[in-house]
Amino acid sequence: MIRFDGVSHQYGALEALRGVSFEVPAGALCVLLGESGSGKSTLLRTVNRLIEPTAGRVLLGGRDVAGIDPQALRRGIGYVIQSVGLFPHRSVAANVATVPRLLGWDRPRVEARVDALLEMVGLDPGAYRDRRPATLSGGQAQRVGLARALAADPPVLLMDEPFSALDPGTRRGLQVALRRIHAETGKTILLVTHDLEEALVLADRIAVMAEGRLVAEGPPAEVLGPGAPEAVRRMVRTGALALHRLAALPAAGAAEDGPALGSPGLPAGATLEDALLLMLAHGTGSVSLEGAPPRHLSMAAILRASAP
Amino acid sequence: MRRARAARLAAETLAFLAALLAAPRAEALWHALFPEVARPTFQQDSWLLLLGWHLVLSLGAVGLAALIGIPAGILATRPAGRRMRPLLDAVFSLAQGIPPVAAVALALPLLGFGAAPTLLALVLYAALPVLRATVSGLESVPASATEAARGLGFSPWQRLRDVELPLARPVLLAGMRVALTLSVATTAVGAVAGARCLGTPIVTGLANANPSYVLQGAIFTAWLALLLDRALGLFGAPGPAGTGSPGSGAAQP
Repeated sequence: MIRFDGVSHQYGALEALRGVSFEVPAGALCVLLGESGSGKSTLLRTVNRLIEPTAGRVLLGGRDVAGIDPQALRRGIGYVIQSVGLFPHRSVAANVATVPRLLGWDRPRVEARVDALLEMVGLDPGAYRDRRPATLSGGQAQRVGLARALAADPPVLLMDEPFSALDPGTRRGLQVALRRIHAETGKTILLVTHDLEEALVLADRIAVMAEGRLVAEGPPAEVLGPGAPEAVRRMVRTGALALHRLAALPAAGAAEDGPALGSPGLPAGATLEDALLLMLAHGTGSVSLEGAPPRHLSMAAILRASAP
Repeated sequence: MRRARAARLAAETLAFLAALLAAPRAEALWHALFPEVARPTFQQDSWLLLLGWHLVLSLGAVGLAALIGIPAGILATRPAGRRMRPLLDAVFSLAQGIPPVAAVALALPLLGFGAAPTLLALVLYAALPVLRATVSGLESVPASATEAARGLGFSPWQRLRDVELPLARPVLLAGMRVALTLSVATTAVGAVAGARCLGTPIVTGLANANPSYVLQGAIFTAWLALLLDRALGLFGAPGPAGTGSPGSGAAQP
């Protein structure tokens, strides 16, 4: 869906991007992970031409974005930024309606769409439609920002550190909402973050950037494996990478047949990290996996599954 | 609250008009103040007519200053025009630096007597506050809002019209209010060039050693400036010290 093909960008003497090439498959939620100054935001902004590569191309659905009118291109791509950027002089509904209005949708269609989107991001339309952005909390404002980005039903969503300014609890809530929306809509999402845990919660695929280069790309469990790049290892305490990697592995993959009587139950979609945390919380060496037929998971199985 | 202020303003406006109409008949009052003056009330022209001309001149000048200052301020804040900003600021500062009396006098040979040199002097004087207010208004627009507008696919013109100017409006209107107050107070110098306005009694009084005329012209000029400033405050333009207005809601951090 989005293909970066040798993308480089130079700000004066600074090489912000140095020949980045990889592809984000359609429907994926790909997290661009890296430290400040790694070039991840710059790369994101080449997709909607807020930044033009000085070399290489960006292809969107097979078309070189350089050949698409920037305004038409941006109206066809959802865009969410860390500072949210709601228009303070407009109501929540008018903010959400921004792109449909630019595209000239008729009023009934816009209004129906606004209500549907507020519902989707978990805000009651009746209570929020007419509010001003200044009256919203940070988390509510970013929910509106997300609804605004999705308003014209773009196939691709670009998110630049969307939750980084929020407190941990609020951030968690938005991450859950984003995962749900991704599952419901099947959008292709490219999301920038410097937070490894956020990447693990959200990503189907992780692309790690360091000093303007792509240093690793693939499914989370692969990227965080024993060969994890230095840029990823620097983000966590020594040894903690193995723990984080458990969050990228489904518990079902390590489960064994047969019930484990009397052990706590684990929901079907849980990860190995969830399994380990449940064992720690109950002081047991095994948990049973909910669902039929009965299966269970032992500490030894977790160790085997996480081994390189 | 707002309604009460509007009612008070209406009452004050009526008081002003009543005083203006009564001015030619207030012989006793002015005689008591200036016993040495033979004819203490200004009778040569209708005060209402002078008020009308005064308003036409000062409002017209601010309108023209806005036509010049706002586009210049927009230009100075565009990426393409940013380099012109010091130049624009210097030119407008220089224009304001010329005392209006001198501007009127210098324009006389070119534009003749009457309204034209007065308008020129007033526009030169009022353009700088309009330019500055436009620039600071546009600069007060949160960067996050303009960035979002760009990313969502607004054209530069749509961004200006739908996001930047509405958000710059409170600061811009405050600047216009300053410009208008300055302009109303300064229009009186137009009388030097023969433009009829509330300055006419002042200039006539100066020429004929009649301090009673001078005082009457000064009172009505200052009173009008205050009234207009209050009226603009009522209609949503916040004062220079942020005297509050509807719609100046806190911007999202």
